[in-house]
Amino acid sequence: MTRRKRKEYLENVLYTLPAVVLVVMMMYVPFIMSGYYSLTEWNGISKEPRFLGFANFISLFSGDRAYMGAVTFTLKYTLFFVLLSNVLALALAVMLTKKFRFVNVFRGLFFIPYIMSMTIVGFIWKFIFTQGFAKLTELTGWGFLDWSWLGEPRLAFWAVAFVGVWQSLGFYIVLYIAGLQAVPEDVLEAAVVDGCSGRQKFFRVTLPLLGPSFTTCIFMSLTNGLKVFDIILALTKGGPGGSTYSATLQIYKVAFTDNHYGLGSAEAIVYFLVVLVITQLVLRLMNRKEVAL
Amino acid sequence: MGMHARRRTFRVLMLAALTAIALVYIYPVFLMFMNSFKPFGEIVSDPIALPRLPTWENYRYVIKKIRYGSLFLNNLMITAVGLAGIVVFSSLAAYILDRRQNRYTGLIYTLIITPMLIPFQTIMITLLKAMSVIRLSGSRIGLGIQYWGFGIPMATFIFYNFMKTIPKELDESAHIDGASTIRTYISVIFPLLKSVSVTVIVLDTMWIWNDFLLPLLMVNSSNQTRTLVLAAYTFVGQMNTKWQYAMTAMVLTVLPAIIVFVFLQKYIVEGVVAGAVKG
Repeated sequence: MTRRKRKEYLENVLYTLPAVVLVVMMMYVPFIMSGYYSLTEWNGISKEPRFLGFANFISLFSGDRAYMGAVTFTLKYTLFFVLLSNVLALALAVMLTKKFRFVNVFRGLFFIPYIMSMTIVGFIWKFIFTQGFAKLTELTGWGFLDWSWLGEPRLAFWAVAFVGVWQSLGFYIVLYIAGLQAVPEDVLEAAVVDGCSGRQKFFRVTLPLLGPSFTTCIFMSLTNGLKVFDIILALTKGGPGGSTYSATLQIYKVAFTDNHYGLGSAEAIVYFLVVLVITQLVLRLMNRKEVAL
Repeated sequence: MGMHARRRTFRVLMLAALTAIALVYIYPVFLMFMNSFKPFGEIVSDPIALPRLPTWENYRYVIKKIRYGSLFLNNLMITAVGLAGIVVFSSLAAYILDRRQNRYTGLIYTLIITPMLIPFQTIMITLLKAMSVIRLSGSRIGLGIQYWGFGIPMATFIFYNFMKTIPKELDESAHIDGASTIRTYISVIFPLLKSVSVTVIVLDTMWIWNDFLLPLLMVNSSNQTRTLVLAAYTFVGQMNTKWQYAMTAMVLTVLPAIIVFVFLQKYIVEGVVAGAVKG
């Protein structure tokens, strides 16, 4: 090895070392530790965890209804979160790319919930569901507002999904606005010259050209939906009757409230695999679609 | 002429609809502000109207009770420490990883960015144990340093993609002029990373300032790491009925973010879009 080569090699190591060490310490080490603890029973206090083998995993798939319920809830939540976020954001983005006065103020308004902590968003809506809606019903006479939105499992699902969409809609709106603005003006003009109506222009020209925006927004909303935590903790704490536990909240509860660190770790490892498989599948699927356009 | 008029009507209707949607949409935020100026009785009897006699009483109480000044400082310190490390270490790594493409750097790149696939909640159980072993769990600086590990994968990915657009000739000519590798990074490369650094800073500021779960996990270890969101959270948890104070604590937490957003809307939105498209 020449001296120059050796110096270059040393630099490669040195410049990347802080990043590597930090990532290994904060992500890889806890991840590997989770792998180990998932094979044990440990309450977090006793010195030595007791080795169990795969018993935790077996109980997840056979006995533990709560975990499966939480995973199912999360998948259902994610499905509606992705659908609603993208449809509503695209519709609003189309309106917000028209030219009118104060358009930036309007865009800003929709973005504000996104810069707020999700915990606080959850509390604001908890207040509205429990206090505000009663008063609003009194004023308007709209009975549906007075339903027990956080007290009934079926309604609580929609309340949680609605608040989740409300918080992050602004994010997807700005992404779609960026996508819409990137559609070349001359292509749209050519479509008009060729006799396209407004609606045809949108569905036949603009939408297909938005391919990359769809990929980004669907993928982002998918990963964010699968990670839902803060909003639910603030809004329902998993209730009523445990019906709104998301997978992540369930992991939190089992570990930190019930003190089953081993079982919680097993749930975490399984959920990591679920997220990995789903995101990779969707990514593959969308990449193929995008090329086809 | 008829078609022109119809288009005009459509436009007016659309704007009216959009205005209505926007007002309903932002009303909950407005409602939080309004209720922070009401005494308790009025919040309960009339939660959705303007305050009859706005009062600063809630603010006086909450600012003292949660020691707002010191919590604000905690938030500021944790965010600043977090940002500094993420930007410096990620850009430094991305610079070498892009310029020296070989088997070693390829491996290191994969090692750094792969954790983007690990959801935070799947490592949170063991994180606290790991962090207390290396003594990062009890201080503001320690918490800031923890964010380095969680932020570096995504930031390195963004910086790396941007590095590809900076022509290699620039650092080669600096090298011929006798500049060392670190000198080239400091005076040639880093200044060119300005726009992408803004992207990383915007994304990570929003994330760290508002983050809830990590401070919650670390809360028992020290008072230093209590953050604004955490204070708002305990307010609602402990005193479920005292909405006047809860609303005030919430306003005090989100207000700094909203003020910054009002002044820097353009940069923040651009940063968020760039981060999502590149990330």
